[in-house]
Amino acid sequence: MLWRYIAKRLLIGVVQLFGLIIAVFFLIRLLPADPVSRLVGMNASEEAYAQAAAQLGLDQPVMTQLAQYLGLQPSVQPGLLQGSLGISWVTNEPVLSEIGAYLPVTIELITLAFIVALLVAVPVGMLGALNPGGRTDKGVFLYSLFAGSQPEFWWGLLFVYVFYYQLGVAPPPLGRLSPMTNPPDFVTGFMLIDTLIAGSLPKFLEALHHLMLPVLTLAFILSGPIIKMVRQNMLRALQSDFVLYANCIGLPKKRVARYALRAAMAPSMTLIGILYGFMLSGAVLVESVFSLGGIGQYSIRSVLAFDYPAIQGVVLIITAISLLVYLLLDLVHAAIDPRIAH
Amino acid sequence: MTLLTVRNLQVTYRSETAVSRPVDGASFTINPREVVGLVGDAGAGKSTAALALLGLARAPGAITGGEVIFEGRDLLKLPEDDMRAIRGRDIGIIVQNPRAALNPLLRVGTQIGNAYKAHNQSTEAEARKQAVDMLRMVGINDPDRRVEAFAHELSGGMAQRALIAMALSSRPKLLIADEPTSGLDVTIQAQFLDEMWQTVQATGSAILLVTQELGVIANYCDRVLVLHDGRIVEDAPVRQFFESPRHPYSQDVLRLFRERGGEYPAQITGDRNFLKTDALTKHFPLRNSKKVVQAVDKVSLSIGRAEAVGLVGESGSGKTTVGRCLLRLVDATSGQITFDGTDITALLPADMRKIRSRMQIVFQDPYDSLNPRWTIEDLLAEPLRVHGTPDRATVRAKATAALKLVDLDPALLDRKPRGLGASTLQRVNIARALILDPEFVVLDEPTSVLAPRARNGLIALLAKLQKDLGISFLFISHDLTTVRYLCQRVAVMYLGQIVEEGTVEQVFSTPRHPYSAALLSAHLFPDPINRRVDHPVPAALQGEIPSPIDVPKGCYLASRCPHALEACRATAQTLTQLPDGRQVRCMRVVNGDI
Amino acid sequence: MTDPSGPSDLPPLAVRKRDGLFIFGVTIVTVVCILAVIGPYIGPYDPTLTTPRVAYPPPGLFAIPGTLLGWINGTLEYPPHWMGTDASGYDIFSRVIAAPRTDLAIALAANALSLLLGVLLGLIAGYYRNWGTEFMMRVSDVMQSFPVFISAMVLVALAGRSTTNIVIALAFVYVPIYIRLTRAEVLSQKSRGFVEAARALGQPELTIALRHVLPNSMTPALIQSSVTIGFAILLTAGLSFVGAGVRPPTPEWGLMISTGANQIILGEWWPSVFPGIAISLTVFGFAVLGNALERRYEEGQ
Repeated sequence: MLWRYIAKRLLIGVVQLFGLIIAVFFLIRLLPADPVSRLVGMNASEEAYAQAAAQLGLDQPVMTQLAQYLGLQPSVQPGLLQGSLGISWVTNEPVLSEIGAYLPVTIELITLAFIVALLVAVPVGMLGALNPGGRTDKGVFLYSLFAGSQPEFWWGLLFVYVFYYQLGVAPPPLGRLSPMTNPPDFVTGFMLIDTLIAGSLPKFLEALHHLMLPVLTLAFILSGPIIKMVRQNMLRALQSDFVLYANCIGLPKKRVARYALRAAMAPSMTLIGILYGFMLSGAVLVESVFSLGGIGQYSIRSVLAFDYPAIQGVVLIITAISLLVYLLLDLVHAAIDPRIAH
Repeated sequence: MTLLTVRNLQVTYRSETAVSRPVDGASFTINPREVVGLVGDAGAGKSTAALALLGLARAPGAITGGEVIFEGRDLLKLPEDDMRAIRGRDIGIIVQNPRAALNPLLRVGTQIGNAYKAHNQSTEAEARKQAVDMLRMVGINDPDRRVEAFAHELSGGMAQRALIAMALSSRPKLLIADEPTSGLDVTIQAQFLDEMWQTVQATGSAILLVTQELGVIANYCDRVLVLHDGRIVEDAPVRQFFESPRHPYSQDVLRLFRERGGEYPAQITGDRNFLKTDALTKHFPLRNSKKVVQAVDKVSLSIGRAEAVGLVGESGSGKTTVGRCLLRLVDATSGQITFDGTDITALLPADMRKIRSRMQIVFQDPYDSLNPRWTIEDLLAEPLRVHGTPDRATVRAKATAALKLVDLDPALLDRKPRGLGASTLQRVNIARALILDPEFVVLDEPTSVLAPRARNGLIALLAKLQKDLGISFLFISHDLTTVRYLCQRVAVMYLGQIVEEGTVEQVFSTPRHPYSAALLSAHLFPDPINRRVDHPVPAALQGEIPSPIDVPKGCYLASRCPHALEACRATAQTLTQLPDGRQVRCMRVVNGDI
Repeated sequence: MTDPSGPSDLPPLAVRKRDGLFIFGVTIVTVVCILAVIGPYIGPYDPTLTTPRVAYPPPGLFAIPGTLLGWINGTLEYPPHWMGTDASGYDIFSRVIAAPRTDLAIALAANALSLLLGVLLGLIAGYYRNWGTEFMMRVSDVMQSFPVFISAMVLVALAGRSTTNIVIALAFVYVPIYIRLTRAEVLSQKSRGFVEAARALGQPELTIALRHVLPNSMTPALIQSSVTIGFAILLTAGLSFVGAGVRPPTPEWGLMISTGANQIILGEWWPSVFPGIAISLTVFGFAVLGNALERRYEEGQ
């Protein structure tokens, strides 16, 4: 039953990803951009232009390009079916390995930000729900509305000004480690893990220090929707018939609280999944404020350079991860709430 | 010695914009082992008062005054923990909408166990055993399996039994039953109330039975309390209440019951086949399956000119679908519908539209059937505009006349439905259905969401309209009291089939089909002299209605019928006319066995 | 357990009405709307021309009264730079109040476009369910699974960084939301009694769809508009911030923050802080308004 559900979801996901690949592929080729002249420069000779176009495969008919990209038609490079996302036009590196280097940065950042945001937002949201309409609740509610509608890149800059320039407690926003520090060997790509593998506690602490402000910024922005959701779900649970009934039959307070908590957590899973998926690309502005070099910055670079294989790869990978996260959290949801499997 | 004394109870709701007091100075008493009915209109604060007895109020409400004295202690002054100990141990409660009152994330057995553990020292295993025992006690078959169920897997009747198992697990001295049967079908309702009554006789609890139904009051209660405008306006023994109600509100509620007497409406003469269906069948396909839901199965029905025919049955019997097929709101799968000599099943859309001005329908939910953004005038004008191009003055005049016809103030014309009561809106719906002078109207449970007082008024109005205007009615209802008052003939449906059809007198006084008999014996007529609890009626049918997806091969009722033979299960039954003119779908009745 | 008609049916003993949040939201939105019309003309400087004073800080808190006095008396050599000037010498105040012309106009246009398309397609998809509309919903699903910021960036960067292209890109991102919202509402409205009643009267399907179902299905989309406009402003600013938005020297809040970003670690806070406050308040104002509308709608239900 469960495995069939997972298989069905994965199948739908694959179909959706395929639709996405096709859509992105045609969309970027329909737009009036000229990647060749971006690559060889405006003043290049016609021969140089033609040669570059041929090298990128852009002289072929569009359907041939698609077939080559998908790996249905033999060409110089392997295609998607062979497990390759193509070669970047800018760096000549395989897109997949480039993404492999950039993605962990983003995942590390947003995972930490989610942990911090949840640690703050869950109790705060519940606090608001305990006395709906009260002073605390109004404050909590206003805060969630405010935090949820803020320009995160500006707050990042503001934090840099306050914590780095004015107070001097944060490092300058120049990357994951100080430019003077030798980065540890690349193992997982997660700086916090790689520094530990390298056995260097000082580097680990330095990485943590450099993550402080970006995580704070993102956690601040994330706390808005999470508080709002926790408050709403908790409110709904507390005002539900079954919590009232649990009180009616004199269940102990602790037991009633557990009933409500569980009912409030179940629907929260889905929204947290959606938020996480959104943040994979939504962290882009914070990454660039702090020069972290995550997947968001990689996509900025690719887009501005008209690097088609890289753009396609980034969109594909981010969407695929989002879909997996949705599935995972839906499964958690189904484990809590027996009605979902129905 | 009284068990419970309530003095000047007051509950206040305070929102951002308004303050209201649904319970405002209610006082009453309950004696040990007594069954007390609490009646009042919808929204009169009955449920609020019931909750307040436990010291609880729904947000944003709060108990703002009064005393609830139980065994000598004022519950409202007790510390929180003492109060919790009394809830569920000394006072149990069951509520309407039982499925919502069960925790959707926990198994029913766990919940009953939790309730038991809250008031009794016990281990996990004992609590579980208690849960099984309680479920068995309240009449659930194979309780060992049912303790593992979740709320959404239970039917309404099952869920209500699970609640009562929880409420009685600590043998409370008082059980509050807040409209426990409001969503249940007629046969299940009687079954449940019988079982509740018997169980409580065994545990020795008193009951406060909150209800809107006079039938429930008359059959189960010893004493009646009437809650009106937040206060108890009448407190009388049940027979005295029905014989000589004192408060004007009570007199209003009982009017229909007191006026009716024993007369049945006279039969019509003339054209008996004004509207006629022939083997009308409707199947709804199921998603991702080849199976179908057999909503309506070869229904042949005829309605005469100016005749009112009742169509009764429980939910899922297909009666509503029949009504919709007649107006071609859903297209029949097969069969014919003849209206005044024309076969309308084959009509082209343009011709059908012309006929629509002659046949109309009034739906169950008055709030839902009026577009909330339109004024009453626009709503009444819509039929006129669909079937013609009237000028403003004509529309105004006709709309005014239509409102007067249903006893409404023409000043309503410029209002929108929001803020108007259910009874007013249902009258607007009726006015809208009648504004084109139709010859045939389907009334699809038009009174089922109304409070008793409003229901009486509307039924009287419908009876008058039918007589004055000479319209043919198909009156779809599960409320037999209403059908008996309003209709000349009646058809009883079960699982998409008509099982018995005849005059109201025939079917109501001597039902022949086992299902009709069961339906009538389960119906709670508001008659305190022949109380159900004084003459125990054995349950006429067993179990619940089978699914309309996999219908049995032979008689559809065979699995529940006490008279069923092997032959009944094997052969499909046909509707056969009896010598007295009625039709019955039962071979044993036709053979004269029963 | 629920009283079907609820306590609101009872006569209120006292009524008080006060919705400070709603007033706050309306005020902010109104001010920004007015600035979008007259903003570029009322500042002390032309927002697209530089001044010779580069990176001047704003007057200190205590210097404000003196500056104000001097300005009124006409004793200053040049109009004061209330928010200072940036590294190129632009007057920040003039640009901050001129920017709604860009930011709000883009957001409003993008919202209007996506609202119109989304409601129309949502109505069709909800009302007529066949393989064609099913396919449309699948396409909409795929569109919605695009990473928002990246797809907006791709559309703008590859189509050319013009205002029109930004509007189209944002509309592309938001259309699926409106389709989904409207379709869901249409599905619930079309099964309501008054639709069936209209059908029983013989009302043609198109009339039912347009006069009964559509008006009752638009409210969620209209409420969403307020939120969408806010997010569209954030997205517009974000695009400029990474260099995929409007071109300098168009006065635009995101671009201004971006210009000041490099100076902030040197302590020059004003080029970024003031436009940031403007965005922060504006988007918050729209969120507050949207929330107030939503609450009113829910109370009305």
